[in-house]
Amino acid sequence: MGLFDKLAGWLGLKKKEVNVLCLGLDNSGKTTIINQLKPSNAQTQDIVPTIGFSIEKFKTSSLSFTVFDMSGQGRYRNLWEHYYKEGQAIIFVIDSGDKLRMVVAKEELDTLLNHPDIKHRRIPILFFANKMDLRDALSSVKVSQLLCLENIKDKPWHICASDAVKGEGLQEGVDWLQDQIRTMKT
Amino acid sequence: MATTVSETKDSGEANSKWLDAHYDPVANLYTFASCIALADLHGDGENKLVVGDLGTGASNMKLKVYKGTSLVSENMLLDLPTGLVSFLMDQHEPRTPAIAVASGPFIYIYKNLRPYFKFTLPSLEVNPLEQEVWTQAKEDMIDPTSLKEMLEGIRETAEIPLSVRSLKFLMLERQAMENFVSIHKQQPIRRQTVITCISTLKKNMAEEDAVSCLVIGTESGDMYVLDPEAFTILSKMSLPSVPTLMDVTGQFDVEFRITVACRNGNIYVLRRDSSRPRYCIELTSHPVGLVRIGKNVVVGTADETLLGYTQKGKKLWMVNLPAPVVTMATMDHHTRGFQAVLVGLANCQVQLYRDKNLVSTIKTPDVVTSICFGRYGREDGTLIMTTKGGGLIVKILKRTAVFDDRDTVPGPPLAQSVRLNVPKKTKLYVDQTLRERENGVAMHRAFQMDLIRLRLTAARAYAKALECSLTPMSASLTEPLKMNAVVQGLGPTFKLTLYIQNTAACKPAMGLAVCFLYDQTLYSMKTTFFKIPLLVPGLNYPFETFVECLSDRGISDIIKVFILREGISTPLLTAHINMPVSEGLALS
Repeated sequence: MGLFDKLAGWLGLKKKEVNVLCLGLDNSGKTTIINQLKPSNAQTQDIVPTIGFSIEKFKTSSLSFTVFDMSGQGRYRNLWEHYYKEGQAIIFVIDSGDKLRMVVAKEELDTLLNHPDIKHRRIPILFFANKMDLRDALSSVKVSQLLCLENIKDKPWHICASDAVKGEGLQEGVDWLQDQIRTMKT
Repeated sequence: MATTVSETKDSGEANSKWLDAHYDPVANLYTFASCIALADLHGDGENKLVVGDLGTGASNMKLKVYKGTSLVSENMLLDLPTGLVSFLMDQHEPRTPAIAVASGPFIYIYKNLRPYFKFTLPSLEVNPLEQEVWTQAKEDMIDPTSLKEMLEGIRETAEIPLSVRSLKFLMLERQAMENFVSIHKQQPIRRQTVITCISTLKKNMAEEDAVSCLVIGTESGDMYVLDPEAFTILSKMSLPSVPTLMDVTGQFDVEFRITVACRNGNIYVLRRDSSRPRYCIELTSHPVGLVRIGKNVVVGTADETLLGYTQKGKKLWMVNLPAPVVTMATMDHHTRGFQAVLVGLANCQVQLYRDKNLVSTIKTPDVVTSICFGRYGREDGTLIMTTKGGGLIVKILKRTAVFDDRDTVPGPPLAQSVRLNVPKKTKLYVDQTLRERENGVAMHRAFQMDLIRLRLTAARAYAKALECSLTPMSASLTEPLKMNAVVQGLGPTFKLTLYIQNTAACKPAMGLAVCFLYDQTLYSMKTTFFKIPLLVPGLNYPFETFVECLSDRGISDIIKVFILREGISTPLLTAHINMPVSEGLALS
């Protein structure tokens, strides 16, 4: 790192870069959440199912996020593990209205947590209990119960209810993630 | 103990393949595999579960639709549903499928879960005699008693069976007859059959979302193919018996094949352009389930067997099941290209067979009465089961699940097919083989000569042994004796025990003597000759004597023992005792 970069860093001009993985089942709202977090002029209007993955960037007050928005479709889920090494934080999105597939989300989360690239690293995991606007949506407490989040002892995690279409609850989650990453770095 | 271990292993194995998504033991859902379907009813990419609920069998028949874990819609049905299918009627957008519910002689078509059309089976030909009798009754020319007699006569002789009205009339008591006749005589007689099974057949395209015709089987042994839009009969075929289970493949305009299991225990294969069955499979027991895997037909029968046939009716394999079959379904996982048969058994198990191999077993809390595998919600590999007690079970196939296709049928062990690490043929080996090939005859002759020589030598030795009575068994017939000797001790003094037995049947041996012959420089014995008392047949007599070894050089020799008869110099028996080395002397 050059002297100028260091100086810029001290002055807060250049923001630290972090790689974040955005995971979750298909149709849970990963791309919509990332789209909402982008500056309003960069947002797209129509969200289509992601194929493979896409890389998105957005900035918060102190960090510059590079998000790997992974496709959640069954046939692309085996791609996830190839990006675990790069990820410094994980956003896991859950469709709170899909009670039937909560077991599938739990299964994928367990596989993720038991992967050798994740297991022994203390990386923060942010859960979005998305689609809170649905009439029959489960509460974030219920979702964390169903996913047995209380069993995650060695990683900082946080769950927040969200409605990605309106953008509700997203900022709270990202603020938490930012704090976690900053405490980790220092 | 072994069974419990294997059971826990089985359930663990099933757990590693299926996720328990939902289980509602009191879903109040009573149905069979023919009345269950998965369809994207609203065109939103999420498949719903459509069930024709039989209710109590007399009331509460409902068309139920489930989305996820909850019931989203209920429609009352007028009669018991015998079959339910979802099919695309037309090319209009959005492509939402219609639901066809067969009950009695009608098919009720629902679009967007609203009643849309009702199809009625064409009525059958009425017996002209019966018609005639009822016309007379209508004109009050005959009284109910004679009407009954005439109808009974027709029932026994006529080829065309009576209509439902006449049959009902014949069941009535005398008092009720008059009333019945006066109510019904004005209406014309109709003979109606009922639908026994229903399925779909693609019209002219093979795509998943192509327009499909309805195929129905009736109690009168007929099969109809209906146009999807106009509901006219496109084709009619007849069977020798009443169809109960059906599988349809192909396209109506191109080529199709309808496999029908009938109530007479036979399976018939119908094809395009033939109104009669092309092939017939005669089963030994009644079919309970019928599914198609690729080009093969798999049938579960009432005698607890699962049979595989080709589409031309050739039997491929047979598996015995641990319990009676309750229901069957195909498991067709498109994205993985996995096809198998799910068999629901009466012992609360669902077994998954790939060909004749059992690949997985699922334990269920209750007997499963219907199975459906496919895309439910957004999940491709979903297994839906309803139970005898009205429960609903939803399981999701794990993304990481692998079904190993091992052959469970006992046969040659796996190790047999493992290739051995056989070294390469050496030059010596090749030369030897060449030599053997060229001089085969000479080598065989040399071998034969050596063999004969060996036999000769053996025979000579044997003859000599017999001559000298060197054998432990006496060869003479008059004095059958047997002897063996045991040497005990470490030395220098050995105890020599001779066991002598008279093997004759009843004749005692008398006048025998034992004589020892040995090297006098090496051994000394107190008595080298003694007489044997009378030998009773069958008893084993021990004779003990002591031998002292004189040499201290650690050498040993043979002591010869002879059994002699008084007055004859040739011994009856000879034994050579190999004396052990005297260790006591060697140590001192």
